[in-house]
Amino acid sequence: MTALLETRGVWQRFGGLVANSDVSISVGRGEIVGLIGPNGAGKSTLFNLIAGVLPPTQGSIIFDGEDVTRLPAAERCQRGVGRTFQVVKSFETMTVIDNVIVGALIRNTKMRIARQKAYEVLEFCGLAARAEVLASDLVPSEKRRLEVARALATEPKLLLLDEVLTGLTPVEAQTGVELVRKVRATGVTVLMVEHVMEIVMPLVDRAIVLNLGKVLVEGKPAEVVRNPEVITAYLGDRHAVGA
Amino acid sequence: MDTHFAQRRRRDLIVALCLAALAALAPLFVKDVYVQNIMVLTLMYAALSQSWNILSGYCGQISLGHALYFGLGAYTTALLFTKFGVLPWFGMLAGGAISALIAMALGYPCFRLRGHYFVIATIVIAEIALLLIQNWDWAGAALGIDIPMRGDSWLKFQFTRSKLPYFYFALALACIAWFVTWWLEDSKWGYWWRAVKDNPDAAESLGVVVFNSKMGAAAVSAFLVAVGGSFYAQFVSYIDPESVMGFQFSLLMALPAVLGGIGTLWGPVLGAVILIPLTELTRSFVGGSGRGVDLIVYGALIVAISLALPRGLVSVFSLRKGAAR
Repeated sequence: MTALLETRGVWQRFGGLVANSDVSISVGRGEIVGLIGPNGAGKSTLFNLIAGVLPPTQGSIIFDGEDVTRLPAAERCQRGVGRTFQVVKSFETMTVIDNVIVGALIRNTKMRIARQKAYEVLEFCGLAARAEVLASDLVPSEKRRLEVARALATEPKLLLLDEVLTGLTPVEAQTGVELVRKVRATGVTVLMVEHVMEIVMPLVDRAIVLNLGKVLVEGKPAEVVRNPEVITAYLGDRHAVGA
Repeated sequence: MDTHFAQRRRRDLIVALCLAALAALAPLFVKDVYVQNIMVLTLMYAALSQSWNILSGYCGQISLGHALYFGLGAYTTALLFTKFGVLPWFGMLAGGAISALIAMALGYPCFRLRGHYFVIATIVIAEIALLLIQNWDWAGAALGIDIPMRGDSWLKFQFTRSKLPYFYFALALACIAWFVTWWLEDSKWGYWWRAVKDNPDAAESLGVVVFNSKMGAAAVSAFLVAVGGSFYAQFVSYIDPESVMGFQFSLLMALPAVLGGIGTLWGPVLGAVILIPLTELTRSFVGGSGRGVDLIVYGALIVAISLALPRGLVSVFSLRKGAAR
C-alpha cells in the first residue's frame, strides 16, 4: 500500500537556522499519526511545508501519489490537504456557519448545497447550536473546533491538526479526542502535532518524534515514550539514566 | 436555520425594492431644482460608495485612489464623444472595461502589499494619474473637456431642461450597485472576499486563491465606479482633471461606507443619504469662502461614529434585531 503522504529528505533553512534537516516521514491512509517533540523541534515548520505555506529549501513532498512540493496552499487544499492553525485563525467578522461555508465552497459551487454541507459539518463537530453566532464570540475551545470544522468542510483526505488539544480543560480535550476518532472513522487520515502527551499517546496509531529538526524516533506510542533518546530530548540526560 | 437565512436575504431585497419605488416617486413632490440636484448626487455617491465597498469593505483592500476609476470613466466617455462621436452609452461601457483592466493591471503589483502600504500605493497612483491627465494636451490638459450640448436626448444622454432623467439614471445606478452587492454577497466571491479580509492565511488554507479574489473585487469595483464617472461627466457636461480625479472623490466614496458600516450591504446607502445632503447644505450655507467647512463637519461625524459605533450606523439596526430575537 502506498502512503498518502511522504516527505523525502526535506530541509528547511531560515538564514543560518536549520528548522528541518533531512526529514523523511510517511503517513499511511487511515492512520492517526502524532508528530511530537520539544519546543523548537521543527514540528510547525514541517507542518507548514506539508500544507504548502512555503516550499522546502530542499527535498520533496509527495501527496496521494503526486509531487506537490511546489504547489501553493490553496492548490493543496484542492487536492485534499486540510489544516488547522496553532494560533486559531477564525474569520472573526463572519458567523460560525459562514466560516465553514468558505471551506465547503471548494467542493460545492451551489451556495445552497455548500450551506447545507457546512451545517452538516457543524453538527458533526458539535457546533450546530452556535451556527449563527459571530466567530469572535466563541470561547477558545469552540474556536478550536471551528478550525477543525472549517478544514473538514473542504473534504480533506489528510487532516493536519496543529495543537488542537493544547490549552483545553481535560473535559474539553476529551471531547476533542473523540472528535478526532470520529474524523478518522469517516476515512480521513490525521497527522497531528501535540504537546499534551498523556492525551495524544492513547489516541495515535504511531508517533514520530522530532528533535532539533531531525526525526529522532518513530514507532508505536508505548515504545516511543519509553525510548531513552526521547526522554533525553524532553527532560535532559539526568532522567534518561533511570530509564 | 437555512430558511432563516433565505428569509433575511428576501427581506433585504423587498426593502430595497420599496426604497427604490419611494425614491422613484420623490420627484413628484420635490420640484425644487436645488434639492433635485442634491438627490442626484446622493444617489450617485450611494452607487459609488457601494462599488467602493466591494473592494474595500468586503475584500478589505482599502483603496483611497478610486478617484482614478471615476476619472477614467468620465474621461473615456467625454473623449470618445467629443473626438469620435461615440455615444455616451458605449463610452460608459468602454470606460468601465478600461477601468476594470487598469484596476487589475495595478492590482498585480499592489496586491502584494498589505495594510497601510496598499492604501498609500492607491493614493499615489491616483495622484500620478491626475498629473498625467493634467499634462495630456490631446485630452484638454488642465483645461479639461467641454461636452457640447446638442439638445435633449436619451440617445446622447444630455438634458438641459430637466434634471429628472439624470435623477432616474442615478437611481438605476444605485439600484444596480446595490443589487450586484446583494447578489455577490451570497456567492462564492462574497465568501472568499470576506475570508480574505479577515484572514488571508486561513483563507488560503481553505482553497481560496487570495490573489484572484482581490483581482476580481478590484475589477467589479472599478467597473461600477467608472460607470458612475461617465454619468457624472454627462451630468455636469464639463470635466477637468481636478473636478473628476481629485482626491476628494476618493474620500467621498469611502466616507459613506465607513459612516454607514464598512463591508455591509446597507452601509453605503445609509451613509450617503446622511452625508451627501449634509455636505451640500453646509457648502451652500457657508458660501464660497467656506470650502473645507463641509470637510470639518463630516470629519467630526466620522470621529463620533468611530467612537460610538465602530461598525457603522447599520449596527444600530442589527443590535435591535439581535435584542428582539
